[in-house]
Amino acid sequence: MGVEIIFKIAGIGILTAVVGQILKQTGKEEISTLATLAGMIVVIVMVLGLIGDLFTTLKTLFSF
Amino acid sequence: MEIIFKILAIALITSIASLIVRPVRNDFAVMIALTGGVVILVMVLSYLTGIFDTIKNVIDTTGVSSGLYSLILKIVGIGYLVEFTAGVCSETGNSGLGDKVLLGGKVIIMVMALPIVTSILQIIMEILPK
Repeated sequence: MGVEIIFKIAGIGILTAVVGQILKQTGKEEISTLATLAGMIVVIVMVLGLIGDLFTTLKTLFSF
Repeated sequence: MEIIFKILAIALITSIASLIVRPVRNDFAVMIALTGGVVILVMVLSYLTGIFDTIKNVIDTTGVSSGLYSLILKIVGIGYLVEFTAGVCSETGNSGLGDKVLLGGKVIIMVMALPIVTSILQIIMEILPK
């Protein structure tokens, strides 16, 4: 909980960018867009999970 | 006390990481910055409980109605949430939206704070000699 999740997301970002570039170079444009999209979705799901935890702790803490 | 250094370290690491990723993938940079914000907020949350206990003791001793304690708690919670959301909005580039969220938060907090103000005024009126 902390720095490693930031590095994880940075890693996924760079990975999707590299994979997207490689696929684009080898001529498979549509697959590269799909790969970039998939990376994006993975990151969004992780961030949403984090924000969900934040909101639940807030709800319990402030007894909303 | 050392948590402040942890917070600073995470903030620096997040900004550097989002800087690295920005030219490669712009939207991931925003995601990283957002994650850093969430991580720091969660770390700070645990310190709020201590503050609330002291507020509760103060309220119990001064005889103010205990309903105010939960009201104060809610107001601080709303302030916290509004601040976070406005940060996210301005982070992703639409700071106009963030300002509107801040305005909405201020209005809601003002509406909720009115009973506190009135009860404090009543206490003062009782103290003043007729």
